[in-house]
Amino acid sequence: MLIPFLNSNIPAGFPSPANDYLEETIDLNKEFIPHPLSTFIITTEGDSMMNAFIPNKAMLLVDKSVKPKSGDIVVAVVNGEFTVKFLEMKAFSCRLLPANDKYPPIKITEEMEMQIWGVVIKIIIDPKDVRHVRPC
Amino acid sequence: MFALVDCNNFYASCERLFQPTLIGRPVVVLSNNDGCVIARSDEAKALGIVMGTPAYMSEALFRKNNVAVFSSNYTLYGDISNRVMKTLATFVPRLEIYSIDEAFLDMGELAYTDLSKLGLKIRTTVTRNTGIPVSVGIAPTKALAKMANRYTKKKYKSLGVFYAANQQLIDEMLDFTEIGDIWGIGQQYALLLKKNGVNTAMDFVHFHPDWIRANMSVVGLRLWNELRGIPSIEWEYEPKDKKNICTSRSFGKLTNDYSIIKEAASNYAASCAEKLRRQASVCKSVHVFISTNPHKTDHQQFQHSITIQCETATNLTNEIIAYALQGLEIIFPAGNFLFMKCGVMVLNIIPENEVQMNMFNQKSRAKEKIVLSAMDKINLQLGKGTVRMAVQRFDKRYRLKAEHLSRKYTTRLDEVLKIKI
Repeated sequence: MLIPFLNSNIPAGFPSPANDYLEETIDLNKEFIPHPLSTFIITTEGDSMMNAFIPNKAMLLVDKSVKPKSGDIVVAVVNGEFTVKFLEMKAFSCRLLPANDKYPPIKITEEMEMQIWGVVIKIIIDPKDVRHVRPC
Repeated sequence: MFALVDCNNFYASCERLFQPTLIGRPVVVLSNNDGCVIARSDEAKALGIVMGTPAYMSEALFRKNNVAVFSSNYTLYGDISNRVMKTLATFVPRLEIYSIDEAFLDMGELAYTDLSKLGLKIRTTVTRNTGIPVSVGIAPTKALAKMANRYTKKKYKSLGVFYAANQQLIDEMLDFTEIGDIWGIGQQYALLLKKNGVNTAMDFVHFHPDWIRANMSVVGLRLWNELRGIPSIEWEYEPKDKKNICTSRSFGKLTNDYSIIKEAASNYAASCAEKLRRQASVCKSVHVFISTNPHKTDHQQFQHSITIQCETATNLTNEIIAYALQGLEIIFPAGNFLFMKCGVMVLNIIPENEVQMNMFNQKSRAKEKIVLSAMDKINLQLGKGTVRMAVQRFDKRYRLKAEHLSRKYTTRLDEVLKIKI
């Protein structure tokens, strides 16, 4: 999406003093997607990450080139199934943590197959989908 | 030095990227119209599923082995390919895209002292960033790089990189590679060479160049030089414009309905015209053909084609459709034939800016050009065929069969990956 700037090129008349200071438009693609080749858009359904600003319906930008760190929100594949959780990595353990008390943490054991598919770099939500916290 | 980077089982890997449950499960991808197997995962190869097998003949085998079957999703494969190629381009100054899943990289001027390290870096980066596993073969010529890539897959699968850094390593690879597995040697030449005692790539490089020139022309000799480490195949950094463009497809089911065939021909003509505009060229003639199913030996057979010369070289959809339909009108037979296939080809393609106007056809095409470029833009954004000529209609009867199509995960917002969390 491009936010257009005002161009005041009037054929006759006094040229706008701002013309010399015009800059490029703000390009959200460039701002939000530093690595377009490795970034994928996904949507989520479910409330397990509710307290991490991912309501029931959300759109996430996921960058596969980012190295996952403890504390990141990640898209993980656990035993063949996709999920989105906080990644907690400690010296001898690894867990996927939800952001909703209703759900238990997922402890990654040796028998499990777990792979980090990508790191969530932006969350896009519609204000209509956060009515549950609306104060008025 | 040159590298050939090749995506492993590319189509199957694209499907797996968005359906990880498929990892470890045999996957096959079918050709247009769900005709035959055109791509297989390693597990499917291990089951003995052969490329080109008609899908209907393998249904029982697929079911028995829980094979995941997909229609070809070229929108998805094209986008992922683009990501892979652009990622590769960040490593080298020059790259030649050889096919949807392979590219040659010119590593000549790179400062890396150990190219196998660079090869590994390319492999891990592409695999991590795009999710598509690749293999890398590095060697002094294109033909050797292609061979090194194959050798990687056969011998160093888990490492994924083979750098033919010296003659000893090149010889190891030449000894291993059978004559029929050399890039550019077809079945006929392979048979001929074997008859003359040439069984491996090693035998080939030690064979008489005079014999090769006499029997395999200058192309064979070029390959001989390449395999001896002398670069002889040109580089094509820019994809060459296509010399002729053909769109043809089988109908969803056999038909003798002229209106359906006309509609199909119009659609193929429109697709050719759009491809011409995309490469800024025009064609001087339009070829159209129809055919019954030659495998149905109990049916009456009919094949015919015709080439129509254009008054003025063109890339306008309405004109190319008109020529195609004019041709179809001429060749369409009386009688009760069941047609399987029809196609339109545009020939004698030249760049748009080299058109000579016909003295008797001076009409301005400026208006059509504006309309069509707007149409192309809309169709690019909203999907093929959103805006079309009335004669193209929109009928499902002859449309391609694609019963196992996955989603356009990367190009349509309403089809992206959905995760339940």
